[in-house]
This record gives sequence, C-alpha cells and structure tokens, in this order.
Amino acid sequence: MSLRQGGWLIPLTVAIAFVLTAARVPEEWPGWLGWLRPGWVLLTLCFWAMAAPQRIGPVSAWIIGLFLDELRGDPLGLNALILALAVHFASRFHQRLRMYGLLQQCTLAFLIMALAELARQIGASIVEVPRWTWLAFLPAVTSAVLWTLLQRLLGRLKQGVGVD
Amino acid sequence: MATVLHPIHLLAEAPHRLSREAGQFVATRASLLERQAALEGQMLKLSRIAQQSFALKAENDRLRELLGSRPRVFEDVLIASLSGLAAAPGRHEILIDKGAEAGVRVGQAVIDAEGLFGQVIETGHYSARVLLITDLHHALPVEVTRNGLRSIAAGTGQFDLLELENVPITADIRPGDLLASSGLGGRFPSGYPVGQVQSVLVEPTHAFAQVSVKPSALLDRSRYLLVVLDSGEGSAP
Repeated sequence: MSLRQGGWLIPLTVAIAFVLTAARVPEEWPGWLGWLRPGWVLLTLCFWAMAAPQRIGPVSAWIIGLFLDELRGDPLGLNALILALAVHFASRFHQRLRMYGLLQQCTLAFLIMALAELARQIGASIVEVPRWTWLAFLPAVTSAVLWTLLQRLLGRLKQGVGVD
Repeated sequence: MATVLHPIHLLAEAPHRLSREAGQFVATRASLLERQAALEGQMLKLSRIAQQSFALKAENDRLRELLGSRPRVFEDVLIASLSGLAAAPGRHEILIDKGAEAGVRVGQAVIDAEGLFGQVIETGHYSARVLLITDLHHALPVEVTRNGLRSIAAGTGQFDLLELENVPITADIRPGDLLASSGLGGRFPSGYPVGQVQSVLVEPTHAFAQVSVKPSALLDRSRYLLVVLDSGEGSAP
C-alpha cells in the first residue's frame, strides 16, 4: 500500500471501519441491536480489493485481520484468514464483479458475509466452547443492505480523491 | 496490539461520553440537590457499616488468632471505569480504562459496588480486557455463606444467570442462599458476594441438581469498577 496518489484514503477508511466495529449500542437500547452490526472492515476491504486491486492484497488484509482479531477478542488469526481469503477472491475476480448489477453485488455481499460468519463460528468453536447462534448471521443481512450505500459512498470518495 | 487499538476504542466511545457529559451539563439544580441528598444519605449508611466493620474485623482477627490462623488482610484496589465493550456481541468482555501502567495484571479480580464482576484477561498500556463472570468460558469457585457448601459457579452467556456445577441433589442449598467467592484456586480473593440462588431444580433421576444463581454485580450496567490489585498469583490459568 503506497500512500501516494490518494493511497492514504484506504487506511483512513479502514480505520473508520475499525471505529464503527468498536462502536457499541447505548445501554438504554435493547441489547440484540448489537447483533445487527455489519462487517464494516470486510466490506471496506472488499470494496478496495475490487476498485483498486493493485493497492490491497491478501497480505495487507491478513495484517489488518490480526488487528480485527484483537479488537473483537476472537482467536488470533481467525479474522486474518477470513479477510485474506475474501480479499483474494474480490481482487482475483474484480473485473467480473465490477460488471455485476446492484442486486447481484448485494447478494454476493450477503454470501461472503454469511460464509465469513460461518467460518468464524467454526473456527471459534474449534478452540473454545461453541457458542453457536443463528443470530450471528444477522450481520450478513445488514451488510448486504449496507453494501449499496457503502459502495456508492466509497466510489464517490475514490473519484474525489483520485485513487488510481 | 492492544495499545495500537486504544485510540480506536477512545473514538468509538466518544459519542457515549459526549452524550453523558452533555446530560451532566444541562442537569438542573433541583436534580443535583436531590442526588446530593441521596448520596449523603448513602454515605452515612455506609460509614455506619464501616464503623461496625472495624470492630468486627478486630474481633474476627482475635478469634482467628485463637484458632491459630492468619488474619485476613484487606486488599488494595484501583478505581477504573468502563471504556468499551467487546465488539462481538456473544462475548461477555469489557474494556477498562486502566492498564499495565496503573498496575493492572492478568488474573486480577474486578468488582463493582454490588459484587464480583470478572477477571482481567489481557492488559495493554492504557487499557485492560475483563472477562465477566457470566461469560460462557468463565467459572469460579464459590461457597454458600449460610453453611460453607463449596461449588463452582459457571457462566451461561446471559447477563442475569450463573449456574452451579455438580451440586448433588442431596446438598443443603435452597433459593435465597447467598454465594460468596471461596478463594480456592487462588485466583479470586475470598469473601466477595457473587450472587443469590434463585431456584434449585431437583430431579430424582439426575445425580446433580440444577441451581440457577442471579449475579450480585450489575454486569450490564456498572460503569465504575474496582480492580483488586493483589489478588491471586497473577499467572494465567
């Protein structure tokens, strides 16, 4: 990741995604709202992997994933692996993915998030007591809905800053 | 790594802190006076108990001397406040705003005003991660204050429920019994309230009773916590 030619925008958006991941629901609100939190970091990384595949690859996704492990308290390396695989997929097929319509992209975002959650649950249940719950798939739904917005916002930013 | 992520937690917590401070800023005189009166009343009540506790401690020490056992010491504590929650909703973990710099070590017990809260599982420079006693992965040795019956209180993943493990159906335990940490295992200091038995389900065909316990600590509400500084051995389990 080079910071020139607008490259600083990528770390900035990833940092914002981290802050949004760490943000919590106020105590007065019902607790289940916490389950709706979309996969901010995964979505952001997938966007950049599609839009600028020369800027971000599996290795940087892996390193970012290690920090996400620490933030979420997941077993070290779990999110790193998931993010690296997702970014590899997104950058490998970026030309095809860019051609997809909105609905197709949202469906894909749902599938990737659902797979990521599944991998997270399986990975976590190998090293600790299983805490399997269907609620964990809610983020996939919110992520799919959010993708349209996020993609447009990040696309606008990318154009404005001029990331090549 | 925890230190690198510290600013991210600070930023994520900023809106909550802002709304709290704005709330304090516009608090009316009347409500402040009311709160002050309530706090003064509470302080009076607590100082009465504290006075008694000195006499009781002296008496307890004398009796322990008669028995030939070591007098109990009061542990040093550090005041910390909640600075964030674990980003994964199924996990009962919180972050506190004191870290290795303030003397927090892995394994130290954390209490709130009502009872035992959790234990430190990870420390950064300026923050520490606390595993709550209701997390699925948590269990702690307890004893019934009424008769000294020992058991293990395991977390269930719900903020208002602990379960006692391996309690025989013949054991003398009933709803309303208070549980305190027993100090066995050397991780938690002994004598801190853990919870109150809510129900005891005995099925004659089962070897063990199902005992539900309501934790004393306000696990999903407390904002100010105490880290018990010299408890346990300070080593990981």
